[in-house]
Amino acid sequence: MKILIVEDEKALSDSISSYLKAENFICDVAGDYQTGLFKVESFDYDCILLDINLHNGSGLDILRSLKENHKTDGVIIISARNSLNDKIAGLQLGADDYLAKPFHLSELGARVEAIIRRKKFSGNNLIRFHELCIDIRAKTVSIHEKPVELTKKEYQLLLYFTYNKGRVVSKNAIAEHLWGEEMGDTGSYDFIYTHIKNLRKKLVEAGCHDYIQSVYGMGYKFTAV
Amino acid sequence: MKLFTRYSRINFAATTAVLVAGSIIFYFIIHYVLIRQLDETLKVEEAEILDFVSKRDSLPPPANYKDQHVRFYASDKPVKRGFFSSIMYDTVENEKQIFRVLRFPINADHKTYIATVSKSQVETEDLLFLMVLITIGIIVLLLFFQFIINRLLVKKMWRPFHHTLQTIKQFTVTNQEEVVLPATNIDEFTQLNNALNLMTEKMRNDYVSLKSFADTASHEMQTPLAVINSKLDLLIQDQSLDEKQTKQLAAMYDAVGRLRKLNQSLLLITKIENQQFLQTSRVNLRKLIENKLIQLEELIVARHLNISTDLADVSISINPYLADILLNNLLTNAIRHNTDNGTIIILLQQQSLSVRNTGHPLGFDASRLFDRFRKDNASEGVGLGLAIVKQICDSSGFTIQYRYDNGQHIFTIDW
Repeated sequence: MKILIVEDEKALSDSISSYLKAENFICDVAGDYQTGLFKVESFDYDCILLDINLHNGSGLDILRSLKENHKTDGVIIISARNSLNDKIAGLQLGADDYLAKPFHLSELGARVEAIIRRKKFSGNNLIRFHELCIDIRAKTVSIHEKPVELTKKEYQLLLYFTYNKGRVVSKNAIAEHLWGEEMGDTGSYDFIYTHIKNLRKKLVEAGCHDYIQSVYGMGYKFTAV
Repeated sequence: MKLFTRYSRINFAATTAVLVAGSIIFYFIIHYVLIRQLDETLKVEEAEILDFVSKRDSLPPPANYKDQHVRFYASDKPVKRGFFSSIMYDTVENEKQIFRVLRFPINADHKTYIATVSKSQVETEDLLFLMVLITIGIIVLLLFFQFIINRLLVKKMWRPFHHTLQTIKQFTVTNQEEVVLPATNIDEFTQLNNALNLMTEKMRNDYVSLKSFADTASHEMQTPLAVINSKLDLLIQDQSLDEKQTKQLAAMYDAVGRLRKLNQSLLLITKIENQQFLQTSRVNLRKLIENKLIQLEELIVARHLNISTDLADVSISINPYLADILLNNLLTNAIRHNTDNGTIIILLQQQSLSVRNTGHPLGFDASRLFDRFRKDNASEGVGLGLAIVKQICDSSGFTIQYRYDNGQHIFTIDW
């Protein structure tokens, strides 16, 4: 899978590519508008991460050029200007998603995965991880081909973990993913613990290996090892 | 006291004092002059009598004509010559009158006599009285006209000042319209208006630059925050971290999270101030509150709170995004500043929404509750939640009130 990161803040594009490489993505970085435009026109990517405010141009123009050339690359806009107008303009131009800076890499990872799944595996809605199988269209989970009943939040949690498998996902990122930004201000993440405890219990009882590891006070890691 | 009233009072007192003092001095001068004139007449009479005596060595006959009397008395003792005023019986007018008298000694026929020449002072007094009357009349007229002129003219002259005052009262720094003060031909008012124009212009410019500073600063902070956040996201992937390091990382992670939240809240406030949420639509508050309560369920359950609601089917015109934040902040506030096993009562009526929750009394003045960064020491939030609520209410034309009653914090919003 090839990803293009159009972002003029090198430290940030480095972080994004390091994080995504762990999921076996090949990351290409464009540090300015011209490079971005050139790469978008010259190559095909599975997903493009597009910053709007570039030093010498607007990411929206790159998006426009992409759509004029009838390219089907998935596009996620990442912008420091968390404004509704930017979001609406981007989505109207054909972007698939919008993420405001600053964001958690796990959130970005999940969104990239979701877009690639939608674009590339349009016939295949199943995510398999050993004995675990998630049908993202029907929103059901089965273990050893036997269905497991999960609540909506537990399902979202499991999907988030599989999208970020093998990597530590912080509690803050989980809280924001499941409850939105407003809940991030409540100070306590105790309620996440309850949901994870329930999810683990249900999966283990259904015969699934306990893939969710707790990482001290930091967060959780979904891993086979 | 009005400046004009104060000025008129002083002016009135000063004018009156000067006029009265002037009149008194005037009275005495006129009185002196008239008496001197009278005395001159008496001296002429004296000279005539002395002339008569020196030629004939006998007294002329006493005479009473008009208001003038000449009399002679035999006397042993000599008298000094002198003028005086005296009240005497006037045989002509048949009444007591005031007379000016000249008494002088006279020798005739080897005898000493006292001669008195007197003349009625009444006319003089009458003249004097008339003059005083005219003076008083002039004083009264002068004061009266001064009063009228002040009344009519001063009011007119102060009009530009009152106009300026009215304009300045209506001035708000958030309103970007230029302040227009009327031109006037009074120097002081022109100076005042010029100074005010400069001042308001500067205030508006300062406000705009301050606002754009806050906006730009918050935006510029987003990228470094994104970098720190992403680096932390990568750092926590490191397998070789021990427990102690991870805990330190977690603390950093939380701090960055709070910084992000703070920055987003500041940006939100700036956007509301900049009126970037002008688009409104009909929002069904009942549905919104019910959805919010579902969203916040975990928090409510975690604190074992008892929620009771009485929600009318109310739709109001508001920006949907702001409505969501408004309710979110109000409800999370009611959850966070509650006691375990406490209650939240939400009452939605056609014209108002009230949210009341059990909780400890505020540790600070209630009037400062909606101030930015105002929070209890125990609070883990950034202290902008209620400031945002207030800002949304202000920009949407709602009023919000807070009171603490019977162990409950009560927020009421009217629209």
